[in-house]
Formats: sequence, C-alpha cells, structure tokens
Amino acid sequence: MLKIENLHASVEEKNILKGLNLNIQPGEVHAIMGPNGAGKSTLGYILSGREGYEVSEGSVEFNGEDLLDMDVEERARKGLFLAFQYPVEIPGVSNMEFMKEAVNAMREQRGETPLSAAEFLKKAKEACKQVQLPLDFLKRGVNEGFSGGEKKRNELMQMILLEPTLCILDESDSGLDIDALQVVANGVNSQRDGKRSFIVITHYQRLLDYIEPDHVHILAKGKVVKSGDASLAKAVEKEGYAFLGQDNTEEAGA
Amino acid sequence: MSQWLDQVIERGQAIDDWLSPVRTQALESLRQSQWPNRRTEAWKYTSLTPVEKLELSPTTAADNAAVSDIDGLNSLNLVFVDGKLVTDIDNLPLPAGLHIHSLRAMPASLQETARELFGTIKPPRHLFGLVNDALAEDGLFIDIDAGAHIERPLRLVNFSSAGKESHHRVLVRLGTGSTATVIEHGQGHDSSMSTGFAEYELGEKAHLEHYRLAMHTHQAIHIGGCHFSLHQESRLNSTLIGFGSQLSRLDVDIIHSGEHAKAKFNAVYLLGESEHFDLHSTIEHAVPNGTTEENARGIIGDKAKAVFNGRIHIHRDAQKTLAELNNRNLLLSRRGQINTKPELEIYADDVQCAHGATVAEIEEEALYCLRSRGISRSQALVMLNFGFIQELVNQMPNQALAQWLQPQLRDRFVEMEVK
Repeated sequence: MLKIENLHASVEEKNILKGLNLNIQPGEVHAIMGPNGAGKSTLGYILSGREGYEVSEGSVEFNGEDLLDMDVEERARKGLFLAFQYPVEIPGVSNMEFMKEAVNAMREQRGETPLSAAEFLKKAKEACKQVQLPLDFLKRGVNEGFSGGEKKRNELMQMILLEPTLCILDESDSGLDIDALQVVANGVNSQRDGKRSFIVITHYQRLLDYIEPDHVHILAKGKVVKSGDASLAKAVEKEGYAFLGQDNTEEAGA
Repeated sequence: MSQWLDQVIERGQAIDDWLSPVRTQALESLRQSQWPNRRTEAWKYTSLTPVEKLELSPTTAADNAAVSDIDGLNSLNLVFVDGKLVTDIDNLPLPAGLHIHSLRAMPASLQETARELFGTIKPPRHLFGLVNDALAEDGLFIDIDAGAHIERPLRLVNFSSAGKESHHRVLVRLGTGSTATVIEHGQGHDSSMSTGFAEYELGEKAHLEHYRLAMHTHQAIHIGGCHFSLHQESRLNSTLIGFGSQLSRLDVDIIHSGEHAKAKFNAVYLLGESEHFDLHSTIEHAVPNGTTEENARGIIGDKAKAVFNGRIHIHRDAQKTLAELNNRNLLLSRRGQINTKPELEIYADDVQCAHGATVAEIEEEALYCLRSRGISRSQALVMLNFGFIQELVNQMPNQALAQWLQPQLRDRFVEMEVK
C-alpha cells in the first residue's frame, strides 16, 4: 500500500529525513516512535503534501502511484489522511460545512452522488457520538475554542467520516488524559478492518497499550534505526532512547 | 470647479418644483464647493476622474425593468429605473399605517413636512448629496404612523441602465414606536452614473431594520448614502452589502439625536477585478446614553481597491456612550488595496469606546487543512473567504434575504483570483 524508499527531505534547508525506508501493507498498524527532532512529524507532513518540505531524494509509492507527484487534495481523495498534532482553528467555517464539503469531494472521487444535508447530518451525528463530541460542535467553527482533547477528537471524527485507507496519526495522544486517550484509541480501533492501514506517530508507548501495533519503528536522525514488533515499544518505554547512543539522545532536548 | 458640476448647477437651476426652496440652498453650496481631488480628505483614495469623463444623458423616459422577487421575502417592491419610479404606487396594497408618496407628485398638504425631512438628516458636507438635492426629481416619501408595525419589508430597487445618469431620493419617517424593514437595492452593470441618498427619521422607540445592497458592478458608477437620525430609545439595525464597480461610494451617517438609542451597523464588501468601493461612515453621538456597534469586513481580490473610513464622534455632553467600531480586511492578492482609517473623536470623559482595523491574508495553514481533507484549493478559498464574512451575514435579521444573498456572495469569490 505504501512504500517509502530512501526518502531524503529538508525544511528551510535543514535536512530532516536522511534515507528513510518504510513498507506498509493493507491492514497493518505501524507505530513510529523516536526522540524529539527525529523527523516524525516531518514524515507525516511530507506524506500529506504540506508545502515547504523539499524532497531531494527517494520515492513514495501509494497504491502503486507516485504520491509525491500529487496535490494535497488529490492525496486525500485517494485515501490518505493525516490527523494533525496541532489542529488549526478556522473561525467562520463550521465543522459541518467543512466535513460535508470534504465527504462529498471523496464521494465525487469515487463516482458517488453527493450526500444530501439530511444524509450527511445523520453520518456526522454518528461520528460525533463515536468520539464523544457534543453535537453542537458540528455547528461551531472548525476547532474554534476547542480544548486540546476536543481538537484531537475532532480530527478523529473527520477520519471516521472520510473513511481513508491510510491513516497517519501524528501524536494524537499528546496532551490527552487517560479517558481522552481511550476515546481516541477506541476511535482508531473501530476503524481497523483488516484493509485500512495506520501509521501511529507517538512519543510514548502509552497509546500503544490501547492500539496494538503490528510493527514498531524507531526513527532517529531522519532514518528508521530499529524495527520490531510491539515488544520494541515496551523496551523503549523501559529503557528510553538511550540505546540510540549519546549522539541521538541529544536531539531529544532540541 | 469641474465641467460636470457646472452642468449639474445649470440643470438644477432649471428645475422648478415644490422642492425648489431646498434646491436653491444646495445649488448655492455647490457653487461654493471645490471639486474634490486627491488632496480632499473625504476623497483621498477615490478618484472622480470617471465622473469627470462622463458623457451620459439625463434620463428622459424610463423603461420598465423586470425585478424578480426574492424567495420567501414577500416584499413590497418599489422600483426605480434610471431614477424614475416605475411602480404604480397608487394601486399598491398598503397595510394600515404605511403611506407612500412619490416626490414627483407630492400632495400639497404634505409638501411642508417632506421638505423638512429633505436634506436635514443628511449632512451638507457630502458633495454628491448636494448634487442629489439639486437634481433628484423623483423619489419616495415613506411615512409610517406612530405605533404601526409594518411586517412586509419594503424593497426599493434602483436599476441603472446603459448610458443613463440618474438621481433619486428616499425619505423615510418612522413614527413613535413603529417598526419597519427597508431594503435599498442598487443594481446595474453598464456604463451609467447614479446618485441615491436616503434619509431616515426614527421617532421615539421606533425600530428600523435596514439593508443597503450596493450591487452596482462593472462600469456602473454609483454614489450615494444612508443617513439616520435616531430619537429617544429608537433602534437601528442596518446591514450594508457592497460590491465594487468602476466607482462606488457610500456615505453613512448615524446620528444619535435622542438618548438611549441603539445602532448596529454591519458592512460587508467584496471586491474583485479592478473594482472600487469606498465606504465612509460617521456616527454622531450628540446626546448621552447612546450605543453603537459597527462592524465592517471586506475581502479584496485581484486589483480591486477598497476604502473604509469609519468615524465615531462623541460630543461633549454624550456621557455614558458605548461605541465600538471594527474593520477587518482580507487581501487576496498583492495588487489589491485597502485604505482603512477608523477614527475616534471623543469629547466626553465617561464613555466606553473601542476601535480597530486589521488587514490580513488567507492563512496558508487553514488552506492546507481544508485541502488535506480532499477539498480543492479553489473551493477551500471560497470557504475561507466566506467564513470571514459569514458571521456578519448570519447576523442579518431577515433570513430570506440572507439565503438569497449567500449564493451571490459565493459567486463573487469564485470569480476572484487569488495570487
């Protein structure tokens, strides 16, 4: 489904990714862990197509197509979804309007007819319920005045509505208390259907107690330095990133 | 003095009707007026060259223009074509308490009253207001009895057609405790020049819901104004929607004449291509305990140019005034221009006032967020733009009018280029 080969990328002329490889099959959950500054969020942004990131080398194939050649919206329409670490507030555009437009853009891509307002509302209400967001959040401006946890749940609500095939969760656990963490984890688990794939970017092992990964990769200095199964995450939790060596852990403070 | 103004004075002198006494005064003021140039403060950012170059003929005969109804509005339509009233007002089904008279056929018994309204609320500093004083032969005097609640909105459409110059005037008097909704709707896109000024007297405890839809576009030049006098405990809720044209200019004056009056004025202007829109508003708090809330938001794309000048003037005796003025602008292109100037002039010491103006660009991060959910860039821009003004559109008390406006406002964004 997703094949990243020897990816080199920079932002503002600073090299962040330095030869990253990753191969994800349908239905798999991959966790990406690593110290601050390792390039975890950069990877998410590059996959989603955010401007300002320069890919100098390497390739990314998404379902056999060149992902890096696509516009941001095209990637989304082909099934890629990035849940943001810091969701942006958009006053004036309601959650409802935002998601209706997005859902119908997806439907158009699949050759389906757009949902009517009533049909959409029904789906949106269900999604709200699933992530435990009050229904009046649909009427509010996107993330406008939402708490940190509400913003994360709102990202998840979008994921549920858009039904992507590859979901990238960028530190969806950061800033969440244990209850909110479970809501997020349950939301993700409800979307695991054996076909949909996930990249779970996280700093801590905590989230992985609830979302069981098939593979865990440790990202440091722009590369995957170690891969393993769920036990690798537990080892990291216990021992920290010290095994990466002095040189790598320094960046944790950066 | 410009040739155009000379010609206005000449034509004004030739008019002989029941308004002649007030026209004479206006003509005298015009003779003493300087034709504005870029050094004239009120016209600093708006060039009158398009007016100077005009070769238009004053209207002789008016064609009937088909005015389509607004769904769900159920308005009483009063239509002007090139300044001439074409609606047969004698056969309108008027509700009790509402009286509508044409300025062209004012009954002798009302001439004195109408003359007293004419030009007394509109301040004499507006040059084109004086031009309108001198030349507006047609127009309406809308008189609402004390205590009357006029449910049906009055929609005054002013349609300008190719090659025509026109001037019309509206006088509205709301009696004590009366309520009404008045929509002034300007239309036309061909080369034309029109002035349209409206004066509103809100009696004690009267409530006016007002809209000015300034929708002259392209080559249509429109210069006009809305002027309100608010008596004791009256309420004004006014919304202005401005599209730009070769030259569009509006002056709004809200005068607190009685205590405890409340005014809410929202303005939205949306400009693209090489359009020009200039809004000058002045709020006069002449008496204590008045409240004003003014919000103006504009979106400027392409090579368009917007001018906003919002002045709040709090007189020495106007203690306990609450006044807020806010102007926010979104610039969509590097070649677009906005000149904004909020002004507070306060002579009373126990007041609460705030004012502010901002100019911003579309937030790249918000754009990226929408696109990352599959929404096309162009559609995302429409949504973000619309979001910027949505708040004010949502505040329009008349839902039918808001519904009718939405797609037209959206269409404006679709046409705007973003660079």
